[in-house]
Amino acid sequence: MKMIQLITGKVSQIPKVGKLTAIKYSLASIIVLLTACSAATINIEGTFPAPLVQKLPLTVGVYYDEAFINHSFIEINDNTGDDQYIINSGASQLELFNTMLPAVFEQVVQLDSLESPSGMSDIDAVFVPAIEEFQVGLPQKTRLNVYEIWVKYNMRLAQSNGDYIADWVMTAYGKSPEETFQSVDAGVNDAANVALRDLAASFTLGFSNIPEINEWLRSQNIMQE
Amino acid sequence: MGKTISRDSKMKQLTLFNPGTFPVTAFVLPFLLFLCSCTTTEIDEFRQSSTSINNADETIVILGRRQNNNYETEQSFVGCVADVVSRGDNSITVVDEQEFLDAMFPFFEPRTAPMRTGHLEQLMSMDVAAERLDEFGIEYIVWLDGITERSEQSGSISCTIGPGGGGCFGFGTWQDDSNFEAEIWHLDSQSSVGSISTDANGQSYMPAVVIPIPLIARVEANACNGLGNQLKQFINGT
Repeated sequence: MKMIQLITGKVSQIPKVGKLTAIKYSLASIIVLLTACSAATINIEGTFPAPLVQKLPLTVGVYYDEAFINHSFIEINDNTGDDQYIINSGASQLELFNTMLPAVFEQVVQLDSLESPSGMSDIDAVFVPAIEEFQVGLPQKTRLNVYEIWVKYNMRLAQSNGDYIADWVMTAYGKSPEETFQSVDAGVNDAANVALRDLAASFTLGFSNIPEINEWLRSQNIMQE
Repeated sequence: MGKTISRDSKMKQLTLFNPGTFPVTAFVLPFLLFLCSCTTTEIDEFRQSSTSINNADETIVILGRRQNNNYETEQSFVGCVADVVSRGDNSITVVDEQEFLDAMFPFFEPRTAPMRTGHLEQLMSMDVAAERLDEFGIEYIVWLDGITERSEQSGSISCTIGPGGGGCFGFGTWQDDSNFEAEIWHLDSQSSVGSISTDANGQSYMPAVVIPIPLIARVEANACNGLGNQLKQFINGT
């Protein structure tokens, strides 16, 4: 009955409680509309196990630049062209590298800068990771029942005096099946964690096999012929 | 007056589930459909070698294959099979999948996991990996690979809501088909000792008279129970 009254324009006959309810609904609708317009922020979170490998007897300095520490990817809504999701992965990238590198190298030192690194004389090599590309596959867009994350990294290794050792590209891929009542946040987070584990797996097992690094390790008598 | 009668009849529809007014048909229809919504499960076993396990200090681990592009074996299904194997008569100690993956990281990730028994030899040649496997007391590694697919969906259910209440009316049906295969590797001999495959399918129904009544065929649960029990017998050598 109340609905009919509203439609027919007899607003004056609506009791006070009805007016309040209408205001509440209007406010709720405005909030929902405003929320729908803004991009959702997804902060990737996760913990990673330390790789089970024999450490290389090296002291490595690692430098994370601002772009790496605060890495953020914006997924655009194809229909409207607006930002749809902001995916912040910097913190978990840092968490991964800070877990992985001490398991691969005897000692790891985090450097504040590449310009004036302190205590560089004790360092065998300087490692600088960078994210070149970051892609997200959402089920609503790909029509697949999985969330997907693909990341392309550029890794650089140099000697403490700045001489080049190696510069190579690594890719990481992770997917997570779409589940009933699962939020997009959870799906993207799961896929990102699989991708980060994938990177750690291939980095850990493949580091010594990169030709330039292999050659350098042999020259340092760290690896046998 | 006409309006009043109409409102009364609507009220009756919305209170169908009061004990006194619940029609017999609302019981009979779901019951008949429940009888129909059963699951057929077929299990095949292929044994290559004899097997046994000492439950006092030997364990197994059940791992899902996640290399396929189109699907990946659900962690929940792997957990379900592990539960079945580790419960009841002749139960076997099963190492938790995630705990094993973390402890063995990075050797059993989708990109690095051994795909053939020949790869086990390479893995066991690494002291750190062999020692960790020994710590767990792993005797058998079981690889689970498969998926549950939904097909033959038909029917429709429409729901309405109004000032006086709401309700649904209609009928939906679909078929679920679970296909899983377990391959069992013996760690000491670094060989495959056999495989078990399960194929379960069943039709589910969803009649809706005011409220939807899901009559779900427990296809994946039956596949899990069937596969888990068969796996337990297989490894125990019974």
